[in-house]
Amino acid sequence: MKAWISSVGAPTALTCAAFTLVTAVFFISIGQPAIKTIADMMVFAVGDSYSLSETLVKTIPIMMCALATAIPGRLGLISVGAEGQLHVGAIFGTAVMLVLPESFGLLGLCLVLVAAAIGGTLFGFIPGVLRVRLGINETITTLVMNYIGVLFVSALVYGPWRDPANQGWPATKSFPEDLILPFFFGTRVHAGLVIAIGIAVLLHLQFHRGTWSRQIKVLSGNRKVGETFGLNYAFTALLLMCLGGAVAGLAGIFEASAIQGRLQPGLSAGFGLTGFLVAWLSRHEPLMIVPVSFLVAGLISAGDALQLFAKIPAASSTILQGLLFATALAVPGLIKRYRGRYGN
Amino acid sequence: METDLMALVGVWCAATLRSATPLIFVTLGESLGQRTGIINLGAEGEMLVGALAGFAVATQTDSASLGLLAGALAGGVLSLVHSALVLAARANQIASGLAVMIIGIGLTSYIGRAFVGKKVSSLDNLLPSGGEALAFFGPFLQQTTLAGPLAIAAAAFISWWINNTRSGLHWRSTGESAEVTLSNGINPIRIRFYAITVGGLLAGLGGAILSVDYTQTWAQEMTKGRGLIAVGLVIVAGWRPALVLPVCLFFGFTEAAVFKLQAMGITFSSHLLSTMPYVTVILVLIFAHLRARKSSQMPNDLKAVFQ
Repeated sequence: MKAWISSVGAPTALTCAAFTLVTAVFFISIGQPAIKTIADMMVFAVGDSYSLSETLVKTIPIMMCALATAIPGRLGLISVGAEGQLHVGAIFGTAVMLVLPESFGLLGLCLVLVAAAIGGTLFGFIPGVLRVRLGINETITTLVMNYIGVLFVSALVYGPWRDPANQGWPATKSFPEDLILPFFFGTRVHAGLVIAIGIAVLLHLQFHRGTWSRQIKVLSGNRKVGETFGLNYAFTALLLMCLGGAVAGLAGIFEASAIQGRLQPGLSAGFGLTGFLVAWLSRHEPLMIVPVSFLVAGLISAGDALQLFAKIPAASSTILQGLLFATALAVPGLIKRYRGRYGN
Repeated sequence: METDLMALVGVWCAATLRSATPLIFVTLGESLGQRTGIINLGAEGEMLVGALAGFAVATQTDSASLGLLAGALAGGVLSLVHSALVLAARANQIASGLAVMIIGIGLTSYIGRAFVGKKVSSLDNLLPSGGEALAFFGPFLQQTTLAGPLAIAAAAFISWWINNTRSGLHWRSTGESAEVTLSNGINPIRIRFYAITVGGLLAGLGGAILSVDYTQTWAQEMTKGRGLIAVGLVIVAGWRPALVLPVCLFFGFTEAAVFKLQAMGITFSSHLLSTMPYVTVILVLIFAHLRARKSSQMPNDLKAVFQ
C-alpha cells in the first residue's frame, strides 16, 4: 500500500493539483475569473443529464483512440496514428453502407463494423510493416499518415461520394437506421460505449494473464532476450499495430454513423491526439483508460460549453489538453529528482 | 527560344526555393537538436507559433523582417517547454514534443482567429523589375526574396560549424554520448538546452517565413505537418546539415509541382494532390532506409529514445 502511494498515488495527486493551478493561471491570463470558470467547467462536463450524455458521447472515440495507442504501446511502440486510422475506418465502413441494398439488418451492421476495423487495420499495418521490415520509426510514419487519412475522406466526400441531395454540402448520403448502433435512452450515447469498455476489459485480461501477456512483457523489456527464447518480435509488433488500427477504425465508423449520420469533413475533433494523451496518462493500462478518457472528454465538452455560454473560444480546451500533458510529464520527473537529491 | 527555356527554369527554381525555405530552416533546427541526442516533435507547434507571431507583428508594424524576428523568438520561447520537460524533468522526448505540439496548436487557434483574412506584404524581391536580359537570373531573382538565399547560407554555415569547430565537436559528442562528454568536463545538459533553443528559433523563423513571405496569410494549423515532416527529413538527410538542403529542395520541388498542376486547373482531385508531401516523405524514408539498412550515422544517444 505504502509503495503504491509513493509510486502512483502521490504523483497522480500532485499532477492533479498542479494541473488545477495551471488551469487557474491560464484562465486568469485570458481575463476570466479562475475559480468561477473552473467550477463552471465541472458543471458543463457532468452537471446535468444532458452535459453528462454529451461528455459520454465524446468519451467513446477518445477511449477507442487511447486503446488504439495503448495496444502497440504495450510493446514500447509509440504510434500516434489513431486519427488517420479513425478516418480510414470510417471510409471503409461507409463504403459498405453505400453498396449495401436497403434494409440489410443486423448482418449489414456487422459488415459495416468489420469493414471499418479492416480499414483501420490497413493504416496500422503500413507503419507496422515499415517498422519491422525496414526499421523506420513508427512515430513519424503514423503522424504523417494522419494527414493522408483526413485528406482521403475529403477527397471522397468532395468527389465521388458526394450525395447530390445535399445541395452542394460535401457529405455522403445518410446512414440508414439499421446500420447504426442503438442509442441509450433517447440520448446521443450509443452502444459504442459498451463496445469500448468491453475492449478495455478484454485487453486488460490479455495484457495481465496468459502466455501472450508474458511474451509481450519480455519483448518490450528486451527484444534480444525475447528473440533468444524464440519469440517473434516482428510478428508481435505487426499484430499489435494492426489491432490498434482496428480499434481506431471502429471509432471512426461510430462517429460517422451514430454521431454525424454520414461521412463528412470534420469527422474527428482531434480525437486521435487526445487518445494518445489519455493512453499516456493511463500508462497504457486499458482499465485506467476508461475513467481517464471520461475525465478528458469532460474537459473537452466543458470547453465547447464555455464557448457557447462564456464566449471563451473552444481552442482553450486544446491548450488545456497540452498543459495537462506537460504537467503530467513534468510532475513525476520532478518528484523523482527531488527524491534523488534529498534521499527518500 | 533558348532564353525562354532559361526563364522557365528560373521560374521553377524560384518556386522550388520559395516553398522549400520554411522547411529548410525547420529541418536545420531539428537536425541540430538530433545531433545532440534530442528529438523534438514540438517543431510543429514551434513553427505554428512562429507563423502566427510573425504574421501578427508583420501586419501591425508593416515590416516583414520584424515579423520574421518575432516569429523566431516565439518559436524559441515555446521550445523552453520542451527543454524544461526533457532536461529538467527528464520526461520522454516524444511525449514532450507532442505536448509542445498540442500547446502550439491550441495557442495559435485561440489567438489566431483575430488574424484570419488579414493581408501582409512579404520581403522585397531581390530584383524589383527588369533583368530580362539576364536569362535565367532575371526571372529567378524577380521571384526570390532574401529568405531563400538566407536558408542556403544557414545550411552552409551550420554544416561548416558543426563539422569544423570546437563547439560543433562538443555538440556532436553530446549526441554520441552524453556521459563521455560530461567526463570531459563539458555539460551535455547545457549543450542540449542550446540545441533545443536554437531549434526553436529556427522552427519559429521557418514558420514566420511560411506565413509572412510565402503564403502571406494566416490560417489555422497552416503548417500542415511541415514540422513533423522535418523530423523525418532529418533521418533522410542522415543527420547531416549539408544534406538537409538538397532533401528539402526536392520536397519544395514536389510542392511547387503540385501547386503548378492545381493552377493549371487539372481536374484531378485537389485533396488527393495534397497528400503528395506526406506520401513523398514516407517514400523518401523508405528509400533512405533501403539504402542504409542500418542507420549507422544516427547519433548514438538518440538511439535510446528513437529506434
